[in-house]
Amino acid sequence: MTSTQGAVGQSIRRLEGRAKVTGRAQYVHTLRLPGMLHGKVFRSTVAHARLLGLDASAARALPGVHRVLVGQDILAVMPDPHYGPAFHDQPVLALDKVRYVGEPVALVLAEDPHVAEEAAALIVARYEPLPAVYDEVEAMDSTAVVHEVLKPAGTFPDLKHLQGKRDTNIALDYSLRRGDPDGAFASADHVFEHRFRTQQVLHVPLEPFVSAAVPGEGTLTLHTASQSPSFVRIEIARLLGWPENRVRVQVPYLGGGFGAKLYIKVEALAAAAALIVGRPVKIALTMEEQFFTLTKHAATLRIRSAVTREGRITARECEVWWNGGAYADIGPRITQKSGFTAPGPYDIEHVRIDSYALYTNLPPAGALRGFGIPQLVWAYESHTDMIARELGIDPVEMRRRNILREGRPQATGTVMRDAAIEQVLERTAERMRWSEAFDRGSGTRRRGRGIAIGFKASVSPTTSVAIVNIYADGSCALYCSTVDMGQGSDTAMAQIVSEVLGIDIDRITVVHPDTDVTPYDMATLGSRSTFHMGNAVRAAAEDARSKLIALAQDVGVSVETTPIGEIFRRKYGMQAGNVVGSGSFVPAYTPTDHHTGQSDNVTPFWMIGATGVEVEVDTETGQVTVNRLVNVGDAGRAINPAIVETQLSGAAIMQLGFTMTEQMRFRDGQCVNPSLADYRIPGILDIPAIIDNERVDATQSSGPFGAKGVGESGTFGVSPAIASAIEDAVGIRLTSLPITAESVLRALREQQGRPLQAD
Amino acid sequence: MGTTRTLRFTLNGEPVTTEAPSHWNVVELLQNRFNLYGARESCGQGLCGCCTVLVDGVAVSGCLSLAARVDGADVRTIEAPAATEDGLDDVQQAFIESGAFQCGYCTPGFVLMTRKLLDECPQPDDEDIRHYLSGNLCRCAAYPEIVAAVRLVAQRRATRG
Amino acid sequence: MKPFELLEPRTLREAATLLHAAGDAARPVGGGVAIMLMLKMGVLQPETLVSLASVEDRYSTIALDDDGQLRIGALATLRAIERSGLVRDRIPVLAQALRRLSNVRVRNVATLGGHLAHADPHMDLPPVLIALGASVRVVGPAGERVMPLADLHAGYLETVLARGELIAEVTCPVQGSRRAAYLKCTTRAADDWPALGVAAVLEAEGEVVRSARLVVSAATDVPTRLSRAEALLRGVRIDDALLARVGEAAAAEVTPIGDEHGSAAYKRELLDVYVRRAVRAALAAR
Repeated sequence: MTSTQGAVGQSIRRLEGRAKVTGRAQYVHTLRLPGMLHGKVFRSTVAHARLLGLDASAARALPGVHRVLVGQDILAVMPDPHYGPAFHDQPVLALDKVRYVGEPVALVLAEDPHVAEEAAALIVARYEPLPAVYDEVEAMDSTAVVHEVLKPAGTFPDLKHLQGKRDTNIALDYSLRRGDPDGAFASADHVFEHRFRTQQVLHVPLEPFVSAAVPGEGTLTLHTASQSPSFVRIEIARLLGWPENRVRVQVPYLGGGFGAKLYIKVEALAAAAALIVGRPVKIALTMEEQFFTLTKHAATLRIRSAVTREGRITARECEVWWNGGAYADIGPRITQKSGFTAPGPYDIEHVRIDSYALYTNLPPAGALRGFGIPQLVWAYESHTDMIARELGIDPVEMRRRNILREGRPQATGTVMRDAAIEQVLERTAERMRWSEAFDRGSGTRRRGRGIAIGFKASVSPTTSVAIVNIYADGSCALYCSTVDMGQGSDTAMAQIVSEVLGIDIDRITVVHPDTDVTPYDMATLGSRSTFHMGNAVRAAAEDARSKLIALAQDVGVSVETTPIGEIFRRKYGMQAGNVVGSGSFVPAYTPTDHHTGQSDNVTPFWMIGATGVEVEVDTETGQVTVNRLVNVGDAGRAINPAIVETQLSGAAIMQLGFTMTEQMRFRDGQCVNPSLADYRIPGILDIPAIIDNERVDATQSSGPFGAKGVGESGTFGVSPAIASAIEDAVGIRLTSLPITAESVLRALREQQGRPLQAD
Repeated sequence: MGTTRTLRFTLNGEPVTTEAPSHWNVVELLQNRFNLYGARESCGQGLCGCCTVLVDGVAVSGCLSLAARVDGADVRTIEAPAATEDGLDDVQQAFIESGAFQCGYCTPGFVLMTRKLLDECPQPDDEDIRHYLSGNLCRCAAYPEIVAAVRLVAQRRATRG
Repeated sequence: MKPFELLEPRTLREAATLLHAAGDAARPVGGGVAIMLMLKMGVLQPETLVSLASVEDRYSTIALDDDGQLRIGALATLRAIERSGLVRDRIPVLAQALRRLSNVRVRNVATLGGHLAHADPHMDLPPVLIALGASVRVVGPAGERVMPLADLHAGYLETVLARGELIAEVTCPVQGSRRAAYLKCTTRAADDWPALGVAAVLEAEGEVVRSARLVVSAATDVPTRLSRAEALLRGVRIDDALLARVGEAAAAEVTPIGDEHGSAAYKRELLDVYVRRAVRAALAAR
């Protein structure tokens, strides 16, 4: 074993590069199993109704149809077929009720997917319509109640207190109280209040949801495009009433995830179907069906601040209504985890937060790159700029006066450590050349610029376990359940192993998640893998190293000067044996007080991200062009700097789509633009001509080699920075996403006193 | 003539013959008959480019092409090995070096389109690159790195002469 | 998608005869882009598809005819038209419009005939070709006829073509001394379907316009000539004040349809702006 190679901190090329550029990388999409049936889902066409009956006779009669399954059929293998990470509220197939347009109601199985599709179109459902609710604020006191009964899941420790409120649509109401907001507001120089809205948008991984289930002798194997293989195993085992060891979950590469492929999506349906018919079943959703599966939370946000004459914010009150759709998914955690950062990265003495997870009759909402933070940043950074403009203070200066500095308590009371908020802000301003003159355009083309900063707490408490297996020739494998969905985790984890063991990166294999082989990991979400799994991997590698040192001592050689293969040969007389190291990581955590939301340790680390933009506005059409996008983040000490920068840039471009073009449009609860022709994600012509990405020079002392997560940080500031840049350019302020050309022109015309007609 | 037909064509340099239902598209044909998964259906509307294949040297969306289109044609997919020592051509090499992908799902399409772009326009500027690749979507948004990769190949070819 | 029979006639006339006989049970397929999208959505479930891939080669050619007009076969792909030296030389506005039409792969297979016969108002070439004065030759089982392209479209996804009739070729007067521009306005992603398109074809001496043809698409069910706006341009020198009146006239003479690209009120504004810009762009073109 030689001394460390310095793998950490190097921009090493991705391990899977060759497989991806030759089209040979394995995805569940590519999986074909002998005897496999394809499942096609028949979906609800009404938003809220009692399901009176289904006529599937024509579908069953179609030649080639193997079986049609309805909700009742699932009971044969899953006595209570309701799943979910927060509440067990979502049925595998609708039972007595449907709660959104697109909800799975029946499943057709056939060897030919075209036949399954044709048969699904022949099924007829009879409904008794019920009043429906779509808007998150109306859902607070609507008489249309989406769920009569709620069963808390109790799976995750941070959601143990969930109850739901009976006969309401409130899945969770989270509150935080700090100081004396009422007093501060009463004595404030200025009070500002604004209301903001964000729209429903979609993850759109280019590989849509797909799972294949293979029944065995009292066992079940699931091949699934999932970010959370460990959760899938536990949840499917629970639904089946089986011990964990009889369910095996395998995950190859993912064609994108972004938070969509978490918890249970089509896994339970594929599992139940495979067990019922005794054959492998694959369910591969189409792009269109993704629009009926999981969205990002739309939200309404009210924010009110008490501010001194000098621009110091003394109190802030935030009220957030999260549109959770028909099933809670992970919405309650978003409501709470993201809820407590609602006042923004500012040092505010008096805070009141109320955050509500609401059920509505829309497709379920869940995690999406930022986990609620982009919605909050949209509100608090827009609000901050509106205050600054009102008080005549420069936006960057306004932030300097209020920024949450190292060592100061955040709204929960947790003291900020290793959070480079100030540095990220200052570097963004420098990269934007904020203090220099700026060309503001002329005629019908006006330019402006804006800046915004956000922060996020990591999910806690969670567990990650890793195993490092050194082979007898000195090559090695890492077993971990982190899912590489494009973020480059395989490469980063291998770099950590390489760094600890001094084994060349080319001689390290990362074994993809297979719950029979790779140990538990909470999930690949919330930018947690580099920090949590990275720490576990480091510990596993260090454990392996100690064992290797012991082995070397045993055979009387030095690990520093003897090749690993030689150590094994001396011990076993040939190329044989293994050294297996394991490691786990569970960060310390203090649960928040249920009434005050206070905790002295609410997160193991903070993510910081800021964005600066320069825009050009066409004053005759309202069209906005983002000419420059500057993304600055705190990733601690990057394990792989090049990958970190592509994460910052990729996240920011995704959020650019959520800001400018993407919007699920609904009519009577039905998404009317479920295709990439009608729901436009950013293409190569849409990205700014100049994109600058920067990692600030910082260290996360508790992270592996000083690193922490960065997958979401690039999303934080994009939307408010663009809105502020537009105001800077043409003097109008938009408070609702997306910022369409029409919304800009309408606001401009309003301002000029010649409003456009309503149609 | 019924709803199934015999197709004879050249696939990645090899002559092949197979039967396929008339309603299959080219992606289904490649996956179901030849176990080639590099062309994959994603948007299903010809907008994302994940299903790109070359038919008689022309890039088409496999998901919008009936299987019959390839009858008698020369079909090349991403799986066709390059005539280099390591089986990767300079475009694939540049994509790896530039980090021009994340999840990799759209990558075969981008690689094939880049090859065609450089055939037609050996020294493209950024505008040419963006226009030619505008029909390929990358949700991970590795666009800046993709543009850098294309430039890298063009530059290397120019230097090599 | 349901199974169907795929027929591959050798002549266009034979294709027309097959389609005439089968009626609604059959559909023609050229490049197959629009047809595949509709088959996949289940909007169309034909028993028979009549492929035009094997008909006479002349329907794929681009040539200059004796009276100096460009003849483009209906089965010429959009990409072939875009890259044709003849087209670039004689009708540059067509090649320019094609560059922003959908994407390279679609243009590689989509045919001019399909592009026109689909009658989707969001298509880019109808306004350009109508403004240039193009006509179409149509082949049916019993014979053929020629009509101005402006008369082809009857409504949203509707043409005047009778059962069994197929577009055989498009004849378009070359641009000559005329100056032309096509502006496409997208309101979401840059390569989105247009919220509206405006084609302007001008005969002008310096800044004085002798005649003008303006056609708007996408904002209306069928491509629509803007005659009042055209009339304002005739015989006058172009300046901002005149253009303001032209834009207003254009916005007043059609009733845009609101959709996901923008409300009717917004599209009226866009029409005003884009007509002015299209005239400016045409004047600036050669």
